[in-house]
Amino acid sequence: MAVNLETSVGALSLTNPVMAASGTFGFGPEYGPLVNLGRLGGVAVKGVSPIPWPGNPPPRVWETDAGLLNSIGLQNPGVEVFCRDDLPFLRQAGTRVIVNVIGRTIEEYCQVVSRLESESGIDALELNISCPNVKEGGMTFGQDEEHAAAVTRAVRSCTTRPLWVKLSPNVADPAGIAVAVEAEGADAISAINTVVGMAIDLKHRRPALGGITGGLSGPAIKPIALRIVYQVAQAVHIPIIGMGGIRSADDVAEFLMAGASAVMVGTATFAEPGIMETIIDALPTCLSRLDATSPAELVGAALPGRGSIEEDRRPGDSS
Amino acid sequence: MAGDVGVQDYPIVWKKNVAPDHVELILQAPMLARAVPGQFVHVRTPGTLRRPISFSRIDPESGQVGLLFQVVGEGTAWLSQRSENSLLNIIGPLGRGFPPPKAERPWCLVGGGVGIPPLYAALYAWRHRVTAPISVILGARTADYVIMRQDFAKLVNQPIEVTTDDGSLGSKGTVLGPLARWRSRHPEGQVFACGPTPMLAGVANLLQGMGSVYLALEQRMGCGVGACLACVVLGEGENGPEWRRVCHDGPVFSAEELIWR
Repeated sequence: MAVNLETSVGALSLTNPVMAASGTFGFGPEYGPLVNLGRLGGVAVKGVSPIPWPGNPPPRVWETDAGLLNSIGLQNPGVEVFCRDDLPFLRQAGTRVIVNVIGRTIEEYCQVVSRLESESGIDALELNISCPNVKEGGMTFGQDEEHAAAVTRAVRSCTTRPLWVKLSPNVADPAGIAVAVEAEGADAISAINTVVGMAIDLKHRRPALGGITGGLSGPAIKPIALRIVYQVAQAVHIPIIGMGGIRSADDVAEFLMAGASAVMVGTATFAEPGIMETIIDALPTCLSRLDATSPAELVGAALPGRGSIEEDRRPGDSS
Repeated sequence: MAGDVGVQDYPIVWKKNVAPDHVELILQAPMLARAVPGQFVHVRTPGTLRRPISFSRIDPESGQVGLLFQVVGEGTAWLSQRSENSLLNIIGPLGRGFPPPKAERPWCLVGGGVGIPPLYAALYAWRHRVTAPISVILGARTADYVIMRQDFAKLVNQPIEVTTDDGSLGSKGTVLGPLARWRSRHPEGQVFACGPTPMLAGVANLLQGMGSVYLALEQRMGCGVGACLACVVLGEGENGPEWRRVCHDGPVFSAEELIWR
């Protein structure tokens, strides 16, 4: 059974469903010597703001059980430097380019998006709504439906490019936020951003991260990500890009069945720079084993009412 | 010349416990043996992140390199338990190493604790290049931790100066005492240093205005290739202080590039 990995996220086609997640793959060129970008479904660059952001004091990373805490603090050189230094590389990399956009006010998000309008070679924008909103006392834009909707509405009016909104898992009802941004014209939902956490440095008797708290990523958060994708998939009609702890083709299939149309791989790249290519190589066999000839056939397969395959479960069979 | 960076498995050909909780692994790794002293590798361990380790030895002729590390957590404990002939998955060589020292200037190598090994790699690579006197100052907590002392002694004519916190070997105190005396004798000299951050801050402070002072830094690292912006240190930028990536802009920096607070 021939498998075709071509994938679409709304109107945007991808050669395969596996993309690099924002924040873990730099601005494009950094992994060039180790990763064949042309094989990836796409690359989401680190968050880009209107002017340079300095980020947080070190230490900025701390390894945890099956995970990684980070408090990089969205350090980036600003949209001008990004357009000058990194976009030319990305344009010729032979992959879909997703620019992650950050801001401290709605106006800042719009500044970045408007500046990018004159640049070619950008296939989608991903709004990071986990940034602190300085006009609202530092609460993040993604914290409630009203502010998430407001920033989406404003950015939507600045661009016709595919607009993806990346959800924070640190809210009671992520699906409610997804519904709110869908209503304002979002073309897709990215889920999830990192989960807020912390660690203690025993030797120095202080929080392990310079930023005190940080975002948890890696396999530890995969069940949280799958739960949120599954909930969002039942609440919206736009496609979902799933991410959180993906390390294998089976992980990708889980996210597809939970309702994602495509996925992103992040933290796993640090240990294995080639892991996205390994996953892409393994996907055809994985899909065949699951009786699918394309990723699309599995999207939402585990959602309620989708005719799951029932097995005879005998008493005592805990699988 | 620095070799091209790659991801590859290399066999451990030799393993030695060099001090309590300090292990040196010798790898057969021709691709890595083209590295510049001060560069490092990122070694796969079972956890979420790799472990950055700088070269203790680089021998282009035999194609062998050494990695000397301290066992501080689960990742390095796992590494210390690898047996000879087993394979290590390695990204490298990574980062910016030491610049070649100037031939005619007195050269001082200053190492503290587990920061000593990259200085041995530098000495081995450039011992014939430098025609001026070469001095070595090694410091550690106690005599047990003054690692690679015999290796250094084979390559330099002058006695190695040793300092320990408890006076169990050499003079009691830090490397800064002997370094201050060396500086007064060789104001036109050049210095390579590696060790804990407070030691490097002391070296930078002591040698202010000297020029040709190069420091190899440590910082908690994520990707190792400059993508994640985790391992930053504060440097002098064109428009004021700016972060430098230890993995990509370093780990070796000119002392003048950095801001010590």
